Amino acid sequence: MKYGYRSTCLAFVLLLLFSGSALAHKVNLFAHVESGQVYTESYFPDGRPVTGGKVLVYDPAETLLLEGSTDKDGLFSFAIPGIVELKIVIEATMGHRNSFKLKKSELEEGQ
Amino acid sequence: MSRLLVASGLVLLMFSPVFAHFGTIVPSDDIITQDDGKLLHLEVKFIHPMEGQYMEMAKPKRFGVLHAGKKTDLLSELKAVKGKSPDQSQKYTFWTTEYKIRRPGDYTFFVEPTPYWEPAEDLFILHYTKVCVNALGLEAGWDEQLGLETEIVPLTRPYGLWTGNLFTGQVLLKGQPVPFAEVEIEYLNESVGNISVIHPPSDPYVTQVVKTDDRGIFSYAMPKAGWWGFSALSEADWTITHDKVEKKVEIGAVYWVRTRDMQ
Repeated sequence: MKYGYRSTCLAFVLLLLFSGSALAHKVNLFAHVESGQVYTESYFPDGRPVTGGKVLVYDPAETLLLEGSTDKDGLFSFAIPGIVELKIVIEATMGHRNSFKLKKSELEEGQ
Repeated sequence: MSRLLVASGLVLLMFSPVFAHFGTIVPSDDIITQDDGKLLHLEVKFIHPMEGQYMEMAKPKRFGVLHAGKKTDLLSELKAVKGKSPDQSQKYTFWTTEYKIRRPGDYTFFVEPTPYWEPAEDLFILHYTKVCVNALGLEAGWDEQLGLETEIVPLTRPYGLWTGNLFTGQVLLKGQPVPFAEVEIEYLNESVGNISVIHPPSDPYVTQVVKTDDRGIFSYAMPKAGWWGFSALSEADWTITHDKVEKKVEIGAVYWVRTRDMQ
Protein backbone atom coordinates (compact mmCIF):
# COMPACT_ATOMS: atom_id res chain seq x y z
CA MET A 1 0.00 0.00 0.00
CA LYS A 2 2.82 2.35 0.99
CA TYR A 3 4.63 1.44 -2.21
CA GLY A 4 1.47 2.19 -4.21
CA TYR A 5 1.24 5.66 -2.69
CA ARG A 6 4.85 6.39 -3.56
CA SER A 7 4.47 5.30 -7.15
CA THR A 8 1.33 7.43 -7.48
CA CYS A 9 3.34 10.39 -6.20
CA LEU A 10 6.14 9.62 -8.62
CA ALA A 11 3.70 9.35 -11.50
CA PHE A 12 2.19 12.69 -10.52
CA VAL A 13 5.61 14.36 -10.37
CA LEU A 14 6.49 12.89 -13.75
CA LEU A 15 3.20 14.14 -15.15
CA LEU A 16 3.96 17.64 -13.84
CA LEU A 17 7.45 17.51 -15.31
CA PHE A 18 6.14 16.48 -18.70
CA SER A 19 3.32 19.00 -18.82
CA GLY A 20 5.93 21.65 -17.93
CA SER A 21 8.16 20.63 -20.78
CA ALA A 22 5.19 20.64 -23.13
CA LEU A 23 4.73 24.33 -22.38
CA ALA A 24 8.40 25.15 -22.69
CA HIS A 25 8.51 23.39 -26.05
CA LYS A 26 5.34 24.83 -27.53
CA VAL A 27 5.21 24.19 -31.27
CA ASN A 28 4.24 26.80 -33.83
CA LEU A 29 3.34 26.76 -37.48
CA PHE A 30 3.56 29.67 -39.87
CA ALA A 31 2.25 29.55 -43.43
CA HIS A 32 2.47 31.84 -46.42
CA VAL A 33 1.40 31.55 -50.04
CA GLU A 34 3.53 32.12 -53.12
CA SER A 35 2.92 31.21 -56.77
CA GLY A 36 0.09 28.81 -56.06
CA GLN A 37 1.97 26.97 -53.33
CA VAL A 38 1.37 27.06 -49.58
CA TYR A 39 4.64 27.00 -47.63
CA THR A 40 4.55 25.99 -43.97
CA GLU A 41 7.31 26.17 -41.39
CA SER A 42 7.04 24.54 -37.98
CA TYR A 43 9.30 25.60 -35.16
CA PHE A 44 9.84 25.69 -31.43
CA PRO A 45 9.99 29.14 -29.76
CA ASP A 46 13.81 29.17 -29.82
CA GLY A 47 13.82 28.58 -33.58
CA ARG A 48 14.62 24.86 -33.69
CA PRO A 49 12.63 23.18 -36.47
CA VAL A 50 9.94 20.61 -35.73
CA THR A 51 11.19 17.64 -37.71
CA GLY A 52 8.92 14.80 -38.75
CA GLY A 53 5.84 16.62 -37.43
CA LYS A 54 2.46 15.77 -38.90
CA VAL A 55 0.77 18.60 -40.84
CA LEU A 56 -3.02 18.38 -41.32
CA VAL A 57 -4.90 20.80 -43.56
CA TYR A 58 -8.62 21.40 -42.99
CA ASP A 59 -11.28 23.47 -44.74
CA PRO A 60 -13.81 25.57 -42.75
CA ALA A 61 -16.13 22.53 -42.46
CA GLU A 62 -13.25 20.71 -40.69
CA THR A 63 -12.87 18.31 -43.63
CA LEU A 64 -9.32 17.02 -43.88
CA LEU A 65 -8.02 18.12 -47.29
CA LEU A 66 -4.52 16.72 -47.12
CA GLU A 67 -1.73 15.81 -44.76
CA GLY A 68 2.02 15.47 -44.79
CA SER A 69 5.06 15.66 -42.58
CA THR A 70 7.72 18.28 -41.94
CA ASP A 71 11.26 17.77 -43.24
CA LYS A 72 14.49 18.26 -41.27
CA ASP A 73 14.08 22.04 -41.55
CA GLY A 74 10.49 21.91 -40.29
CA LEU A 75 9.13 22.67 -43.77
CA PHE A 76 6.20 21.22 -45.65
CA SER A 77 4.55 22.71 -48.72
CA PHE A 78 1.56 21.87 -50.87
CA ALA A 79 -0.39 23.27 -53.81
CA ILE A 80 -3.35 25.51 -52.90
CA PRO A 81 -6.16 22.96 -52.39
CA GLY A 82 -8.93 25.54 -52.94
CA ILE A 83 -9.69 29.18 -52.26
CA VAL A 84 -11.15 28.74 -48.78
CA GLU A 85 -9.83 29.63 -45.34
CA LEU A 86 -7.46 26.86 -44.31
CA LYS A 87 -6.79 25.57 -40.83
CA ILE A 88 -3.31 24.09 -40.83
CA VAL A 89 -2.50 21.92 -37.82
CA ILE A 90 0.96 20.86 -36.71
CA GLU A 91 1.17 17.76 -34.53
CA ALA A 92 4.53 16.94 -33.04
CA THR A 93 5.34 14.11 -30.66
CA MET A 94 4.01 13.98 -27.09
CA GLY A 95 0.82 15.82 -27.87
CA HIS A 96 2.46 19.09 -28.98
CA ARG A 97 -0.07 20.66 -31.26
CA ASN A 98 -0.87 24.07 -32.68
CA SER A 99 -2.75 25.47 -35.64
CA PHE A 100 -2.52 28.37 -38.06
CA LYS A 101 -5.37 30.02 -39.93
CA LEU A 102 -4.54 30.95 -43.49
CA LYS A 103 -7.06 33.51 -44.70
CA LYS A 104 -8.93 33.19 -47.97
CA SER A 105 -7.58 36.62 -48.99
CA GLU A 106 -3.99 35.42 -48.57
CA LEU A 107 -4.71 32.42 -50.81
CA GLU A 108 -6.27 34.71 -53.43
CA GLU A 109 -3.25 37.02 -53.38
CA GLY A 110 -0.81 34.13 -53.64
CA GLN A 111 -2.41 32.24 -56.52
CA MET B 1 29.03 90.15 -5.77
CA SER B 2 30.41 87.06 -7.45
CA ARG B 3 29.43 85.04 -4.39
CA LEU B 4 25.92 86.34 -4.73
CA LEU B 5 25.87 85.31 -8.38
CA VAL B 6 27.11 81.81 -7.56
CA ALA B 7 24.57 81.52 -4.78
CA SER B 8 21.69 82.62 -6.98
CA GLY B 9 22.94 80.26 -9.69
CA LEU B 10 22.84 77.42 -7.22
CA VAL B 11 19.35 78.39 -6.12
CA LEU B 12 18.21 78.40 -9.74
CA LEU B 13 19.78 75.00 -10.32
CA MET B 14 18.07 73.62 -7.27
CA PHE B 15 14.67 74.95 -8.19
CA SER B 16 14.59 74.22 -11.89
CA PRO B 17 14.23 70.46 -11.99
CA VAL B 18 15.98 68.97 -14.99
CA PHE B 19 13.76 66.09 -15.99
CA ALA B 20 15.24 63.25 -17.92
CA HIS B 21 14.85 63.31 -21.66
CA PHE B 22 14.04 59.99 -23.33
CA GLY B 23 14.13 58.93 -26.92
CA THR B 24 11.02 56.81 -27.32
CA ILE B 25 9.72 54.16 -29.70
CA VAL B 26 6.39 52.76 -28.61
CA PRO B 27 4.66 50.16 -30.79
CA SER B 28 0.92 49.43 -30.64
CA ASP B 29 1.75 45.95 -29.29
CA ASP B 30 4.84 44.09 -28.11
CA ILE B 31 3.58 40.61 -29.02
CA ILE B 32 1.83 39.72 -32.27
CA THR B 33 -0.06 36.43 -32.22
CA GLN B 34 -1.74 34.85 -35.20
CA ASP B 35 -5.10 36.22 -34.05
CA ASP B 36 -3.80 39.83 -33.95
CA GLY B 37 -3.82 42.31 -36.79
CA LYS B 38 -0.40 42.26 -38.43
CA LEU B 39 -0.17 46.03 -38.88
CA LEU B 40 1.93 47.63 -36.14
CA HIS B 41 1.59 51.32 -35.41
CA LEU B 42 4.79 52.89 -34.07
CA GLU B 43 5.35 56.29 -32.45
CA VAL B 44 8.82 57.80 -32.27
CA LYS B 45 9.12 60.70 -29.82
CA PHE B 46 11.48 62.74 -27.69
CA ILE B 47 9.73 63.25 -24.36
CA HIS B 48 9.81 63.33 -20.58
CA PRO B 49 7.96 60.02 -20.12
CA MET B 50 6.75 60.48 -16.55
CA GLU B 51 5.92 64.20 -16.86
CA GLY B 52 4.49 63.67 -20.31
CA GLN B 53 5.98 66.76 -21.97
CA TYR B 54 6.94 66.50 -25.61
CA MET B 55 10.00 68.08 -27.19
CA GLU B 56 10.34 69.04 -30.81
CA MET B 57 11.86 66.11 -32.71
CA ALA B 58 13.59 66.70 -36.03
CA LYS B 59 13.44 63.92 -38.62
CA PRO B 60 15.72 61.13 -37.36
CA LYS B 61 18.95 60.29 -39.14
CA ARG B 62 18.16 56.57 -39.17
CA PHE B 63 15.10 54.48 -38.43
CA GLY B 64 14.84 50.81 -39.16
CA VAL B 65 14.18 47.29 -37.98
CA LEU B 66 16.34 44.24 -37.37
CA HIS B 67 14.64 40.94 -38.14
CA ALA B 68 16.18 37.51 -38.77
CA GLY B 69 19.64 39.08 -38.72
CA LYS B 70 18.79 41.61 -41.45
CA LYS B 71 18.45 45.37 -41.02
CA THR B 72 15.80 47.17 -43.07
CA ASP B 73 15.82 50.95 -43.49
CA LEU B 74 12.38 52.44 -42.76
CA LEU B 75 13.35 56.13 -42.55
CA SER B 76 11.30 57.13 -45.58
CA GLU B 77 8.19 55.56 -43.99
CA LEU B 78 8.15 58.04 -41.08
CA LYS B 79 5.42 60.66 -41.06
CA ALA B 80 5.59 63.86 -38.99
CA VAL B 81 2.70 64.51 -36.61
CA LYS B 82 2.15 66.91 -33.72
CA GLY B 83 1.33 66.18 -30.11
CA LYS B 84 1.56 67.55 -26.58
CA SER B 85 0.92 66.68 -22.98
CA PRO B 86 -2.25 68.04 -21.33
CA ASP B 87 -0.22 70.78 -19.58
CA GLN B 88 1.61 71.95 -22.70
CA SER B 89 0.08 74.77 -24.72
CA GLN B 90 2.11 74.22 -27.85
CA LYS B 91 2.24 71.09 -29.99
CA TYR B 92 5.54 69.44 -30.92
CA THR B 93 6.62 67.20 -33.77
CA PHE B 94 6.96 63.48 -33.35
CA TRP B 95 7.03 60.65 -35.91
CA THR B 96 4.79 57.72 -36.69
CA THR B 97 4.74 54.83 -39.07
CA GLU B 98 2.93 51.59 -39.74
CA TYR B 99 4.76 48.37 -40.29
CA LYS B 100 3.34 45.09 -41.55
CA ILE B 101 4.59 41.98 -39.78
CA ARG B 102 5.05 39.29 -42.42
CA ARG B 103 7.14 36.60 -40.75
CA PRO B 104 7.62 34.99 -37.33
CA GLY B 105 10.45 36.17 -35.09
CA ASP B 106 11.65 39.19 -33.13
CA TYR B 107 11.59 42.64 -34.70
CA THR B 108 13.92 45.17 -33.04
CA PHE B 109 13.02 48.68 -34.16
CA PHE B 110 15.72 51.31 -33.70
CA VAL B 111 16.14 55.02 -34.18
CA GLU B 112 19.16 57.30 -34.40
CA PRO B 113 17.73 60.80 -33.93
CA THR B 114 19.17 64.06 -35.16
CA PRO B 115 21.12 65.60 -32.23
CA TYR B 116 18.87 67.83 -30.10
CA TRP B 117 20.30 71.10 -28.78
CA GLU B 118 19.47 71.51 -25.10
CA PRO B 119 20.41 75.04 -24.00
CA ALA B 120 19.59 74.29 -20.35
CA GLU B 121 22.32 71.68 -20.27
CA ASP B 122 24.61 73.37 -22.83
CA LEU B 123 24.94 70.19 -24.83
CA PHE B 124 23.44 68.13 -27.63
CA ILE B 125 21.40 65.03 -26.83
CA LEU B 126 21.33 61.97 -29.06
CA HIS B 127 19.40 58.92 -27.87
CA TYR B 128 19.82 55.67 -29.78
CA THR B 129 16.53 54.01 -28.97
CA LYS B 130 15.32 50.43 -29.39
CA VAL B 131 12.19 48.37 -28.79
CA CYS B 132 11.45 44.71 -29.62
CA VAL B 133 8.22 43.20 -30.94
CA ASN B 134 7.75 39.44 -30.98
CA ALA B 135 5.74 37.78 -33.73
CA LEU B 136 4.06 34.43 -34.18
CA GLY B 137 5.69 32.34 -31.48
CA LEU B 138 9.30 32.50 -32.66
CA GLU B 139 11.38 34.01 -29.88
CA ALA B 140 14.64 34.62 -31.67
CA GLY B 141 16.68 37.75 -32.24
CA TRP B 142 15.90 39.93 -29.20
CA ASP B 143 19.39 39.52 -27.72
CA GLU B 144 21.26 40.55 -30.87
CA GLN B 145 23.42 43.67 -30.98
CA LEU B 146 22.62 46.28 -33.58
CA GLY B 147 26.10 47.81 -33.64
CA LEU B 148 24.94 51.31 -32.68
CA GLU B 149 27.43 53.78 -31.18
CA THR B 150 25.84 52.99 -27.83
CA GLU B 151 23.02 50.56 -27.08
CA ILE B 152 21.36 48.49 -24.39
CA VAL B 153 21.37 44.78 -25.16
CA PRO B 154 18.66 43.02 -23.14
CA LEU B 155 19.61 40.04 -21.00
CA THR B 156 15.96 39.59 -20.04
CA ARG B 157 13.70 38.58 -22.92
CA PRO B 158 12.13 42.02 -23.52
CA TYR B 159 8.48 40.98 -24.03
CA GLY B 160 5.91 38.92 -22.16
CA LEU B 161 6.95 40.65 -18.93
CA TRP B 162 4.74 40.76 -15.86
CA THR B 163 4.47 43.77 -13.58
CA GLY B 164 7.17 43.36 -10.95
CA ASN B 165 9.54 41.49 -13.26
CA LEU B 166 13.20 42.36 -13.20
CA PHE B 167 14.58 43.78 -16.43
CA THR B 168 18.29 43.19 -16.90
CA GLY B 169 20.38 44.65 -19.69
CA GLN B 170 23.94 45.38 -20.67
CA VAL B 171 25.09 48.84 -21.70
CA LEU B 172 27.50 48.93 -24.62
CA LEU B 173 29.51 51.84 -25.98
CA LYS B 174 31.19 51.08 -29.31
CA GLY B 175 30.49 47.41 -28.61
CA GLN B 176 32.21 47.39 -25.21
CA PRO B 177 30.45 47.11 -21.82
CA VAL B 178 30.21 50.37 -19.85
CA PRO B 179 31.04 49.73 -16.16
CA PHE B 180 29.36 51.81 -13.45
CA ALA B 181 27.28 53.82 -15.91
CA GLU B 182 24.14 55.56 -14.70
CA VAL B 183 20.91 54.17 -16.08
CA GLU B 184 17.83 56.38 -15.81
CA ILE B 185 14.43 54.68 -15.75
CA GLU B 186 11.04 56.25 -16.29
CA TYR B 187 7.48 55.04 -16.56
CA LEU B 188 5.53 56.22 -19.60
CA ASN B 189 2.52 57.89 -18.04
CA GLU B 190 0.72 57.98 -21.39
CA SER B 191 0.95 54.16 -21.71
CA VAL B 192 -2.12 52.72 -23.38
CA GLY B 193 -4.36 51.23 -20.70
CA ASN B 194 -2.85 53.29 -17.86
CA ILE B 195 -6.00 54.38 -16.08
CA SER B 196 -4.33 55.90 -13.03
CA VAL B 197 -1.82 58.55 -14.03
CA ILE B 198 1.12 58.59 -11.65
CA HIS B 199 1.78 61.78 -9.69
CA PRO B 200 5.29 61.46 -8.23
CA PRO B 201 5.37 62.76 -4.64
CA SER B 202 8.77 64.38 -5.21
CA ASP B 203 11.37 64.70 -7.96
CA PRO B 204 13.48 61.60 -7.20
CA TYR B 205 10.41 59.47 -7.95
CA VAL B 206 10.20 60.80 -11.50
CA THR B 207 13.39 59.20 -12.73
CA GLN B 208 14.70 56.05 -11.08
CA VAL B 209 18.48 55.63 -11.19
CA VAL B 210 20.53 52.45 -11.07
CA LYS B 211 24.16 51.90 -11.99
CA THR B 212 25.72 49.17 -14.06
CA ASP B 213 28.16 46.76 -12.47
CA ASP B 214 31.73 46.18 -13.64
CA ARG B 215 30.41 44.28 -16.68
CA GLY B 216 28.00 47.04 -17.70
CA ILE B 217 24.98 45.08 -16.46
CA PHE B 218 22.02 46.65 -14.66
CA SER B 219 18.65 45.44 -13.36
CA TYR B 220 15.40 47.10 -12.33
CA ALA B 221 12.06 45.65 -11.17
CA MET B 222 9.11 47.43 -12.79
CA PRO B 223 6.29 48.13 -10.32
CA LYS B 224 3.42 49.04 -12.67
CA ALA B 225 1.83 47.85 -15.91
CA GLY B 226 2.73 49.88 -18.99
CA TRP B 227 5.83 50.94 -20.87
CA TRP B 228 9.18 51.46 -19.14
CA GLY B 229 12.16 53.29 -20.62
CA PHE B 230 15.77 52.56 -19.69
CA SER B 231 18.36 55.15 -20.65
CA ALA B 232 22.12 54.83 -20.15
CA LEU B 233 23.97 58.04 -20.81
CA SER B 234 27.54 58.52 -21.99
CA GLU B 235 29.49 61.47 -23.34
CA ALA B 236 30.46 61.16 -27.00
CA ASP B 237 34.12 61.44 -27.94
CA TRP B 238 33.07 63.92 -30.62
CA THR B 239 31.49 67.37 -30.47
CA ILE B 240 29.08 69.49 -32.51
CA THR B 241 29.70 73.12 -33.40
CA HIS B 242 26.96 75.39 -32.11
CA ASP B 243 27.26 79.16 -32.66
CA LYS B 244 30.93 78.58 -33.51
CA VAL B 245 31.57 76.82 -30.19
CA GLU B 246 32.28 73.10 -29.86
CA LYS B 247 29.58 71.54 -27.68
CA LYS B 248 29.51 68.19 -25.92
CA VAL B 249 27.14 65.48 -27.06
CA GLU B 250 25.25 63.27 -24.60
CA ILE B 251 24.68 59.91 -26.24
CA GLY B 252 22.02 57.74 -24.71
CA ALA B 253 21.32 54.04 -25.12
CA VAL B 254 17.57 53.70 -24.61
CA TYR B 255 15.44 50.55 -24.46
CA TRP B 256 11.67 50.24 -23.97
CA VAL B 257 9.77 47.30 -22.52
CA ARG B 258 6.16 46.71 -21.60
CA THR B 259 4.77 45.03 -18.49
CA ARG B 260 1.29 43.69 -17.81
CA ASP B 261 -0.48 42.88 -14.56
CA MET B 262 -0.91 39.21 -13.73
CA GLN B 263 -4.59 38.42 -14.05
